[in-house]
Amino acid sequence: MSSWILTLVIFAPLAGVGALAMVRGDNKRAIERVALGASLAALVLAVGAALLFFRDAPQSGFGLKATYAWLEGGASEDALSGGRGSIGGVDVAYRVGVDGISIWLLLLTAFLTPLAIASSFSAIQERVREYYILMLLLETAMLGVFCALDLLLFYIFFEFTLVPLFFLIGIWGGSERRRASVKFFLYTLAGSMITFAGVLYTAYYAYRSGAGAFTLNLEELMRLSRAGAFPVGVQGWIFLSFAAGFAIKVPLFPLHTWLPLAHTEAPTAGSVILAGVLLKLGTYGFCRLSLPLLPEASRAFAPALAVLAIIGIVYTALAAWVQTDVKKLVAYSSVSHLGFCMLGLFSMKLAGMNGAVMYMINHGLSTGALFLVIGCLYERYHTREFAKLGGLARRMPVMAFFLIVFTLSSIGLPGLNGFIGEFLVLLGTATSGSTMDGLAPGPLGFSYAAVAATGIILGAVYMLYMCGRVLFGPLVEPVQAGGVGHGERDEHGGSSGHGEPHDDGHGGGDLTRREVAILAPIAAICLLLGVYPKPMLTSIQAAAEANIFSVDDRRQAEVEAAPGGGRAAQGNAEFGMPNAELTCRRVEDSREAVVFLTPHFARLLSSSDGGGDLRVGRTARVASTGGDP
Amino acid sequence: MDLGLLKILGIVILLAPLGAAGVCGALGPRRLRDRTHWVSILGVGSAAVAALVLLTHVASRGSGEVSTHEGAHAAVGATIPIYDWIPTGVVGRDASGGGITDEQVGTFPHRWFRVEFLVDPLTAIMLATVTCIALLIVVYSRDYMRHHGHAERGYERFFAYLALFVFSMCALVLGGNFLLLYLGWEAVGLCSYLLIGFYYGKPSAAAAAKKAFLVNRVGDFGFGLGILLIYLTFGTLSYPDVFDMLARNVDAAGTALETSKLTTIALLLFCGAAGKSAQIPLYVWLPDAMEGPSPVSALIHAATMVTAGVYMIARCGAIFVHSETAMLVVAAAGACTALFAATIALVQTDMKRILAYSTISQLGYMFLALGVYAADSAVFHLFTHAFFKALLFLGAGSVMHAMGGVIDVRQFSGLRRVLPKTCALVVIGSLALGGFPMLSGFFSKDEILHHALHVHPVLGMMGLATAVLTAFYTFRMVFLAFSGPQRVPEGVHPHESGGWMIAPMSVLAVGAVVVGYLGVGFTGKPFHTFLEPVIAHTFLAAGPNAAGAHGAAGEVVGHAASGGFLAEYGLMILSGGLSVLAILAAYVVYARAPWMAATARATFPRAHDVLWNKYRVDEAYDRVIVQPLRALGRVCFYLDEYLVDGIIWVISFVPQALGYGARGVQRGALQGYGLAMGVGLAIVVTVVLTW
Repeated sequence: MSSWILTLVIFAPLAGVGALAMVRGDNKRAIERVALGASLAALVLAVGAALLFFRDAPQSGFGLKATYAWLEGGASEDALSGGRGSIGGVDVAYRVGVDGISIWLLLLTAFLTPLAIASSFSAIQERVREYYILMLLLETAMLGVFCALDLLLFYIFFEFTLVPLFFLIGIWGGSERRRASVKFFLYTLAGSMITFAGVLYTAYYAYRSGAGAFTLNLEELMRLSRAGAFPVGVQGWIFLSFAAGFAIKVPLFPLHTWLPLAHTEAPTAGSVILAGVLLKLGTYGFCRLSLPLLPEASRAFAPALAVLAIIGIVYTALAAWVQTDVKKLVAYSSVSHLGFCMLGLFSMKLAGMNGAVMYMINHGLSTGALFLVIGCLYERYHTREFAKLGGLARRMPVMAFFLIVFTLSSIGLPGLNGFIGEFLVLLGTATSGSTMDGLAPGPLGFSYAAVAATGIILGAVYMLYMCGRVLFGPLVEPVQAGGVGHGERDEHGGSSGHGEPHDDGHGGGDLTRREVAILAPIAAICLLLGVYPKPMLTSIQAAAEANIFSVDDRRQAEVEAAPGGGRAAQGNAEFGMPNAELTCRRVEDSREAVVFLTPHFARLLSSSDGGGDLRVGRTARVASTGGDP
Repeated sequence: MDLGLLKILGIVILLAPLGAAGVCGALGPRRLRDRTHWVSILGVGSAAVAALVLLTHVASRGSGEVSTHEGAHAAVGATIPIYDWIPTGVVGRDASGGGITDEQVGTFPHRWFRVEFLVDPLTAIMLATVTCIALLIVVYSRDYMRHHGHAERGYERFFAYLALFVFSMCALVLGGNFLLLYLGWEAVGLCSYLLIGFYYGKPSAAAAAKKAFLVNRVGDFGFGLGILLIYLTFGTLSYPDVFDMLARNVDAAGTALETSKLTTIALLLFCGAAGKSAQIPLYVWLPDAMEGPSPVSALIHAATMVTAGVYMIARCGAIFVHSETAMLVVAAAGACTALFAATIALVQTDMKRILAYSTISQLGYMFLALGVYAADSAVFHLFTHAFFKALLFLGAGSVMHAMGGVIDVRQFSGLRRVLPKTCALVVIGSLALGGFPMLSGFFSKDEILHHALHVHPVLGMMGLATAVLTAFYTFRMVFLAFSGPQRVPEGVHPHESGGWMIAPMSVLAVGAVVVGYLGVGFTGKPFHTFLEPVIAHTFLAAGPNAAGAHGAAGEVVGHAASGGFLAEYGLMILSGGLSVLAILAAYVVYARAPWMAATARATFPRAHDVLWNKYRVDEAYDRVIVQPLRALGRVCFYLDEYLVDGIIWVISFVPQALGYGARGVQRGALQGYGLAMGVGLAIVVTVVLTW
């Protein structure tokens, strides 16, 4: 069962697509039900998968794995089963599996999609069938990314998310939807093309280093990387090519300009999915591919990425503050928040990693929910301008409640989920230089955390500014919408009833049951994760330790074990290669690296015998792992 | 101590108000409506009972061990773990020693930031004060909010927030590590935000709420960084561990602590305290917070929440006393704030704002006390202040209630006849605040002045001056409101408040009179004795009264030490006398000869103007900080729209340009293709041959 459950999860929405195609006529309700049903089925299956995963509780590596041969003429049986020795061929297969990190992102996706679909029932009135087909296709792609254990599969799913969203924005978007969708598509496509080049180069280099095949098997690559198959110079190039795609997706300053536009123009559900899941593909890519496969390059580039992340945090926070459109404000806030994510990832600490992954989940929940609330507003008033909205707490107390809860989650109020991610990210960043968690000292430090923390103040500034404008003060509503809707209890409050109830039956009434049913689960999860995050954080941490940093850790261990000689002295036995040959190639490569890379890199290369005192904490661990191959 | 019992009590103290808040919020609007207050009273009441039980439990056990100064933290406080909250990422390896192997990765227990309680005398006192005063105020609100509630759904909301606040404050006090302190810290900030903005339809209220939250966030920024630095230095955030390491003067790596680092930590923590407790330079939010309903002002912005900073510094004394700089900063900020706020209060006319400035001023006293190593005096003043300041705010609320929402003392006078009970109660509170001899405020303030004059005479003198001003402006307010010809705003039919409001005020008035005797010499200072174990190793050991620190200090009057009659009572007589004189002066100026005030104002229009406009600090902040930042935001946005996007656009133009260029090649003319082929071939051949 555990071998095919992930496949079921991934393709359940696709089955829904088939079912949608079979719904006869323009029966809107039937279409909606089928779409919701399919996404709920995926959710149930994903929860089942999570239960199975945690029952087996693999301490390291991936769980629920499945492998099916896919491309003909590819790998031999040997290579498929993870063995080495087959010469030539291409080791590409459909490989899926999850670990303690991806399982949560899988759940997030499966959780948010039904809500996004349910939120579209009233907003989408045209081309209903196509809309839901695209939503479900998108879901399959997103679920696939988080399960893929093969670089080609990863890339296919990663790329395939673009297409449905392109149409979702371009067809059902706002007034500037064309421009937004094209910009979004070209931006991300350009980046991911470079990423693809990196993927191919990785496979090629793995082959060159003796993998025996042109392998795209993630686990195999991790093993190779751990054994030192990727010299620093090569790592640098691959890292940059990966980063091109992922940084645009995150989006990292200064590559973020597609995001505010795409968010503002996308339909509500599109924004929810975009903010909730799609942006995480970037950070997930960094943490699934860049960090484990390219530890040294990650380390070397970390300060640069962190600086960009911090600039992004502060800069977009300030930009968010002056927005006049509620949705655009939240869109800018996304960029700011994802900067924290990047900071956590590249702190190279367990706490930071843990925080970054949790931050991905938190951001998906709270920002996704904020977009849902804004969507509710927009459906009622057909505007998102601050100038035209005000004092709505009086008109829509339930909406106000949810808006405030998600705002608080977003600005990191302790007791809600946002705080924990934020705290861990800052903790990881601040303690990056230390060895408290048994990992090598990371490249960041307290000063990074101090500057980034100003983003927290600014976060509170613009979010509360938004809440204050929309919810508090004298009641302001656009004239034509206004109306009393179905809010009898609100009527005695004062200036009700200028204008007619709007013809879609919503008017200015408070949230409907459906809307509350969409928002309440998110709020409950925000609270739960804030109060008792233990299960989530434990599994994330175990996965981070096993699948992300152990590689790095061991490499670092070798550097220490053999000062001067450095990284060359390992891995050979594993490959059965003559020692000298390997060493030669390594030396060449490191020369390449020096030419190629930044001063950080030069420092890294020369630091194999330096920086002694900081590493004290690590040596203990090295001693018992027995640094010898 | 009986840990099981303490754990249960702690959980009750937290969950009873939290549950009440949930019930009020969920059922209030539909089901409970006018009966919502009962839920709140029940929840806060249970917490108050539990807090009192906890207090007696701690007290009954504590008295025997006070004198044993050895292992203070182990003996005095009890840490009660509840559950694991956030993993630190650090594997708890020290137990097993040595490294771990690959197979063991993930199998070791990780260290956690736990949800844990710390129960010691300081916690017990704070909990009892907070919950009991909160209970009185919830009772008071039952009537008050009937009339001052919001047009829609205000009543239930109010009680939900109030209960939520009690939960937050108790979490702040009860938390056993810095992270929970931060949790409570932010949560009370949130409640304050919600309650200040309670009348959210009023733009001024919404603005005040936002201002309070943001100013506090600025402080919390420093506070949060301080906590990160603590973790970085000590590798833990748990109070006992941190304090233990401080006592042993080692950090996580086992090396000696650097004073500069501790100074940084202390100053960062002080940022947070300055924000929450409204000290210079972050005091600006508190006067505006008076936009909230009066019971809220009484509870949150006078008696409890704003004292969080004092609590925090008292709790972290171990850190602060390591740094003389930090202590001096605390003392100086306290003294300056005290004097500064008192001068503003001299000319304000809004009764609640006068009280707000006096709160800032009194909090300044507490910081002054902390800065001169008299943490017990600070907590004692916090304790007495809670009673009389809550009483005064409730009195102001009662006046407001009677005046139909008007609280400007220029609008009414002579209320002593129509509001006799309120008048009497407010006078009692004012006497306590003004330092009238033998009332609670007199004792606690005198003690602070005593220590301050001894350690920093200049700051002490500022404190003394503040005491005079305090008595004067307090009675200015009293005489303006209650004496003179009876005059009320138009259309108002003044009426005395009912029992639900008067009864809690009476209890507070009794407190304002008697609680001071818990800290005076002839009753044996039970308050200080009770508190002593908490601070014995920090403030007392480092302070000027410590054994061995005498010498130059000479004939210091220590906590229990006694000097001559003058040394012991001279200051008391002086400050008491000054207070009485100031009250008399206020009587003369505002009740007997109002022309004097008018003349004074006419003679010094500038001075009056500056004070009336609160030294224009708000405007300065707006101009120096807010507006530039917003302008920067606009710049960022335009940069984003035009420059950053523009650069990307230019880059994206490159492939397009290449495309244009390449278009020429693909014209379909055979000659062109042939030429290209030839050139290409030539290049390839050349390259291959010369390689």
